Amino acid sequence: MGFIAESLRKAVLLIVSGSSDVVSAVSTSLVVSGSSIVLASLVGIPAGIGIGTGEFPLKRVLLTLLNTLMAMPTVVVGLLVYAVISRQGVLGSWNLLFTPTGMILGLTLLALPIVANYSLSAVKGADPRIVPTALTLGATRFQSLLQLTREIRFGILAAIIAGFGRVISEVGAAMMLGGNIRGYTRTMTTAIALQTEQGEFAYGLALGIILMGVALAVNALLTYVQEKRRA
Amino acid sequence: MTSIIYELTGVHVRFGSRVAMDIDSLIIRAGCLHVLIGPNGSGKSTLLSVLAFLVRPDRGCLTFCGSPVDWSGKQLTLLRKQVTLLHQDSYLFSSTVMTNVAFGLRMRGIDQKEARRHVEHFLALVGMAGFEERDATALSGGEARRVALARALACRPKVLLLDEPLAHVDQESAEIIEKLIATQCRAGTTIVMASHDEQIEERLPTRLIRLNAGRIDSVT
Repeated sequence: MGFIAESLRKAVLLIVSGSSDVVSAVSTSLVVSGSSIVLASLVGIPAGIGIGTGEFPLKRVLLTLLNTLMAMPTVVVGLLVYAVISRQGVLGSWNLLFTPTGMILGLTLLALPIVANYSLSAVKGADPRIVPTALTLGATRFQSLLQLTREIRFGILAAIIAGFGRVISEVGAAMMLGGNIRGYTRTMTTAIALQTEQGEFAYGLALGIILMGVALAVNALLTYVQEKRRA
Repeated sequence: MTSIIYELTGVHVRFGSRVAMDIDSLIIRAGCLHVLIGPNGSGKSTLLSVLAFLVRPDRGCLTFCGSPVDWSGKQLTLLRKQVTLLHQDSYLFSSTVMTNVAFGLRMRGIDQKEARRHVEHFLALVGMAGFEERDATALSGGEARRVALARALACRPKVLLLDEPLAHVDQESAEIIEKLIATQCRAGTTIVMASHDEQIEERLPTRLIRLNAGRIDSVT
């Protein structure tokens, strides 16, 4: 118990002192996770809505694929992206391996099926009268889908929250694609893994507390937006 | 002699293995009130959806104002701007009454100030003046139906399609809606309305179209 209390005290001191390593890990985490969730949302939300509202021959196959990708281990995604962006890979000449951009690519692929699947669920749970109502009032197909998105905005927000939760807490792919380079690609989670392994439990705990705080702050902000719009 | 607005020839609609509609020939005349009468499942709602260009028949020919409907996306958007369907259980968007009634106007590119004027006018027509900023999802059934009617009327459609507009509404709402139907008809709007109320022809000049099992029994 004393060990944990001492570690907690050290963790608080690290946070208060604004250690450059801590600040760097936090900012890298936020930039990488934030960028990946934006990219995943830009592709995943329209994809989920398109799959949910459309009727096309390979719909079932696509649904199965999406569900499978949801359960895909993060290291496997990391491995696949690694194969693509490593020197011998298709995008090897772009020098993306061990860069924040490479990490963003991997994390986007991790968040994408989650955002798409949650958006798809929101569409499935939506009132079936929304699109016909918009169409009969003169909306184009695109405008009717925009109206549908407005009507299911809370479900879409849940999709973004779930996707963000996945990427901010990710270790495997971030470690493989970023290389855990101090001050460059080291995120909160990869730093926690490394420091704990090296016996720096207090440092790991400090980052753990910040990680929880960030997750809490983002969720509190999104919940506030939800409630405010609902009121 | 009034002109023909819709002409259906050999129109057949199937949902899965069930035949929902099978009409050899039907003409809808401009500026008239047509009432579709028939038991549940007789094809009234399906016919309204076809006339609203929401359901594409499996086969047959549909013409609107003399031109055949080719069901292309571009043509459908233009056609749907001339026809508005008020569903039996109308959906109001989760927003204010103002946003709901202004929706069709926004789709027609009418500016906000002008739209507001239209919305106030049509809300007053349905006895809902002053409800502009109210949450549409918190309205009673009768109020919601009236707001949905105002939203449909605000589009100033050439054809107004009504799916049982008088079902499950209070007496006050029913009177207002029926009065509005008569006014719109006098103003030259073509109205096609599904109903179970056979006595409607005693109150309003109508063409009764009797449907049964997706087929037309009679037109009187």
